[in-house]
Amino acid sequence: MNHHLLEHKKHIMGAFIFFCLLIALCLFIYLISSNKIALAYNNNYEPDQPIPFSHKIHVGQYKMDCRYCHTEVEKGRHATVPSLDICMNCHLTVKTNSPWIQKLTLAYQNNQPIAWEKVHLLPDFVKFNHAAHIKALTKNKAPTTLYFPSGHQVKKACTVCHGPVENMETIYQHSSLSMGWCVNCHRKKEHQAPVNCSTCHY
Amino acid sequence: MHIKNTKQKKSKYWLNLEEWSQDKEFQKAAQREFISPPPLGEEASQLWSRREFLKLMGASLALANFACVRRPAEKIVPYTKRPNDIQLGKANFYSSSYYDGEEGFGILVKTREGRPIKIEGNKDHPTNQGGLSARAHSHLLSLYDPERLKHPQHNLFNKEKTNREFVSTQYSTADTYISEQLKNGKAAFLTGEWPSPSSEKLLLKFCKELSCKHFVWNPLHHTSLAKAQKICYGTKLIPHFMPNRARLIVSVNCDFLGTWLYPTQMNYLYAQARKAGGNMNRLVVFESLMSLTGSNADLRTRIASSQNLSLLLSIAYSLIDKGFVQAKWPEHLPHFNKAWEMFSIHEKNWNDLIKDLWKWRGQSLILAGGMPGQSIDSTSTQIAATWLNHLLNNDGWTVNYKQAYNTWSHANRNIEQLTEELENQKIDTLIIHKTNPLYSYPQKDRLRQAFKKAKCIVYTGDREDETGSNADYILPDHHDLEKWSDWEFQKGTISIGQPTIRPLYQTRAFEDGLIKWAKLTNKTNILNNTSSWYNYLKKNSKLSISEWNQFLKIGYVSKTKQDVRVKARAFQTTALKLLKKEKTSDTNKYELTLYVTSSLKDGSLANVPWLQEFPDPITKICWDNYFCVSPATAKKNSLKEGQIIEIRTSYKTPQNLKGPVHIQPGQADSVIAIALGYGREKAGTVANAVGINAYPLAQITKDGDMIGAALPIEINATNQFIPLANVQGHHSMEGRQIVVETTLKKYLKNPGSAIHRHKLFSLWSDHSYPEHKWGMVIDLNTCTGCSACITACQSENNIPTVGKDLVLQGREMHWIRVDRYYKGSPENPEALHQPVVCMHCDNAPCETVCPVAATVHSNEGTNDMIYNRCVGTRYCANNCPYKVRRFNWFNYAKTQHAEPMNKAANPEVTVRSRGVMEKCTFCIHRIRSAQAQAKLENRTLKDGDIQTACQQSCPTGAIVFGDLKDKTSKVHRLFNGSDAYTLLEELNTKPAVRYRVKIRNKPASSTKKETKHHG
Repeated sequence: MNHHLLEHKKHIMGAFIFFCLLIALCLFIYLISSNKIALAYNNNYEPDQPIPFSHKIHVGQYKMDCRYCHTEVEKGRHATVPSLDICMNCHLTVKTNSPWIQKLTLAYQNNQPIAWEKVHLLPDFVKFNHAAHIKALTKNKAPTTLYFPSGHQVKKACTVCHGPVENMETIYQHSSLSMGWCVNCHRKKEHQAPVNCSTCHY
Repeated sequence: MHIKNTKQKKSKYWLNLEEWSQDKEFQKAAQREFISPPPLGEEASQLWSRREFLKLMGASLALANFACVRRPAEKIVPYTKRPNDIQLGKANFYSSSYYDGEEGFGILVKTREGRPIKIEGNKDHPTNQGGLSARAHSHLLSLYDPERLKHPQHNLFNKEKTNREFVSTQYSTADTYISEQLKNGKAAFLTGEWPSPSSEKLLLKFCKELSCKHFVWNPLHHTSLAKAQKICYGTKLIPHFMPNRARLIVSVNCDFLGTWLYPTQMNYLYAQARKAGGNMNRLVVFESLMSLTGSNADLRTRIASSQNLSLLLSIAYSLIDKGFVQAKWPEHLPHFNKAWEMFSIHEKNWNDLIKDLWKWRGQSLILAGGMPGQSIDSTSTQIAATWLNHLLNNDGWTVNYKQAYNTWSHANRNIEQLTEELENQKIDTLIIHKTNPLYSYPQKDRLRQAFKKAKCIVYTGDREDETGSNADYILPDHHDLEKWSDWEFQKGTISIGQPTIRPLYQTRAFEDGLIKWAKLTNKTNILNNTSSWYNYLKKNSKLSISEWNQFLKIGYVSKTKQDVRVKARAFQTTALKLLKKEKTSDTNKYELTLYVTSSLKDGSLANVPWLQEFPDPITKICWDNYFCVSPATAKKNSLKEGQIIEIRTSYKTPQNLKGPVHIQPGQADSVIAIALGYGREKAGTVANAVGINAYPLAQITKDGDMIGAALPIEINATNQFIPLANVQGHHSMEGRQIVVETTLKKYLKNPGSAIHRHKLFSLWSDHSYPEHKWGMVIDLNTCTGCSACITACQSENNIPTVGKDLVLQGREMHWIRVDRYYKGSPENPEALHQPVVCMHCDNAPCETVCPVAATVHSNEGTNDMIYNRCVGTRYCANNCPYKVRRFNWFNYAKTQHAEPMNKAANPEVTVRSRGVMEKCTFCIHRIRSAQAQAKLENRTLKDGDIQTACQQSCPTGAIVFGDLKDKTSKVHRLFNGSDAYTLLEELNTKPAVRYRVKIRNKPASSTKKETKHHG
């Protein structure tokens, strides 16, 4: 009889475990599909850079315009990481005693480019155009007011995706950059953005 | 059900002989959709069972999800000092020139971040007006050929010069040695031809100052044409023939649309007069093999290559005999009464031709020449053609001698003399540039032995090829895309060749070598006070700085006025005395004709896989050359496709050659033809041992010209077979309305009369296209089938090549193909060409069957292929009635884009991996970038903003692309024109591509009653 009860208990336990797993699976699917958790994406990815460049100082403290360094952001696909001669515009004279600036100067003088860690990485089959997005996000707004250092009351075009860059000591990935994240924005009526597959994939 | 009916009777249009004869094997093959059998041999043993693979994949995926996921780490490496003209992600275009040993034209080189990625036509250039050839596109890939030499090489020969032991050397070491040799005298140059004024000037001065002899070896020479001009008019030149001014073109074995002289420009000019309408030209072709020109002919007659001269003289005789032309028939020539019997032409057709020639006098054009015209009679043939053009008042109008093509009149073309001088040790130093005689000279073995007698052979080729491996020094020249040069293709128009990338390897411009040697031998007086080739070139151009900058920007300077009539020259009637038919023995049943293909030509770019996999516009075979025989000859000798035959020539030193047979409809029965340019021994891994080298079959005249036509031969069949990789046998269209053809007469009455329209209804609701609907119209009337679009697409869209074995399995990857259909009897059929791209159907059959929605319709009318979604079920390809989808059976990209070939890839287009379907995208990346540009400029797209790659390189402008919603666009007008039709309309797929009907301008007498499409 004991034996029988044990069998019965086992069945109940089995059913219970199965039920729990089922609930967990459902929850998991729900969380994934509703973008509540993003697995295999890289939000908050914050690699160490060869030179600890601080956006907090340059943008937050000195209120530099994003476009001063990321020169191509309004012109082409890439925002572009600045070439060293842009850094040297100031750092020929600014903070020259810092070892990092000395490293920078040396690299510039030896014509040895610095290999930064890429933070925002899209797969090769996704095509993204910075200029088109900036254009769309600044539509009907005076463009000069949208960038630093024009105060924090304006929703800034760059920060829509890149987050509070002005507070980042080291740059990190603010958004998941998942397709769901892209499409959710494209789908918004007010944006009138295309949602063809070939908008990004070709 | 109509399919069954049409199958019962012989179809009017047919693809290959098997279909025409309703061969049982073909019937069986036609039932299969794909010719791909299950994986064979090696491939099969490497495959896991699919189930096992899926199991393992599933497990590893699950693990990967829960393990710590780490992105692939990538670096961003910005410039230290950014160049002003480079914007990341945006292409820069540099105007430059392309020259392939025979034709040359203006190009724009598209570069991204400093590396050339595509060649495009220079729309403003007076020669090609934007059109390109397949070779010009492939020229790009040869820059990134991994087998190019990276350093200058020195061969440590033993005494007998039998070994090969190449070591890297320095230019300085080589220069010291060479200049010592040059000081000793007895030096000579052996070069190809390149119409560069500065280079020519420098070389001439150098030769004069250092008393070097100069020999030229160019197998594809046009000396007989230039000679005939000299004999007839007193000046040696190659006239600019202008088919755009001609109402009637008669071509005698002259493939001017495919391979002769300057086909890209000819295609453009020809199409100008081929526009549908009352003024459309007529093309009459007499030829021995089916060439691209012959396939476009309104009237085509087969003649043997040995009959070229007789035919031209017959035309002249008939013109005089009928009293049209007031001239005396030269007494020493036989009378050509009843010429039509000689060429098996209907008498009425012949008389009509003569009448038409007279009717269109002054607006006609007689063309003769090219490889199949390069017989022992070639100079007489050219004199006869020149005479005819004179009799018909064409000189000065359709034959433009003012903008003549460049010809090197100063050089000694007698390479036999060079061989003798080498053998007698009269030449110690030989410098070889832009020619590869130990591959392309028919008596190369003798020349190779003669090379060993010389003290120093210097070669400037880019690899250790046939000639290179027998040289003491190889001092590789820059690639044309790395080098400054100037070109004078046509008199009065100088084009620039500017470098678009810093030299990839330790190479040096040939001219810089000359300058260096001149300095070392103290002959600096020839350098015009300059120290480098660039400065010499710039100084020689005599342009001011602003003019020079303008020159670089637009790519050419031209002093001549286009489109003017020039006075006809005085014809020297003494020339007619030289007209004579050489004696050839008439006992030969068969004659050999060597020809060139539009892809490989002389074989110099053979190591470019794009060209090897380029289907020949007529035979549709790639990766091989073969003996073309006519169906009747094949039957008589019971030859089958792919059977190996042995050819034996019967002149002084007999040559044997074995090769496969291709049965070519439309070929003259007595003619056996084989293409040159194949059978390279040391060109590189791609080209080595592909096909057979037919150069040894050619003969050399006493003037040193190569003769490759009408050579007597014998043939012997063997029992061996090799398969020929034909890309078309499996693209069967089952006799439906595919190419619609009409005659000009009918077209003028009603442009759409030949089109059978279907009444269709749809269960589907139509798509809505809020902004754009992209569409394309292909004009089959101006399309000549040159197939430049195939390579343009390949270059633009990173399309891999797959090799002969996979082409045999039907796995070629071209996104655009050009189908060629035959019509009529196989003895002398008409041919039609039809480029087929993805139709971007509104009711796309592929979209409905994709289980993962990897191919979907966009709201701009394109059928998008999403590679990252594709799981490779291949349902879409099965369901596509146009068979335009291509599947990546292997990871072709991995091998194709190995260093440094990856630099040629277009970064705008995703490189596809194994297991992914792909197809024509309508160049969606070009659409997107034009849209982004318009958005940045706050404007809407204009018609013409977007050009697809195929459209851009089409020399005849047969492809038109644009927005069908824009009512003012050209494509909208043509798409809805009454002469436009839809491919397989009855399937109701509603394609976004339409074709305009093909029009034949037949003389009234030869038009037959056309039978209607299935009905």
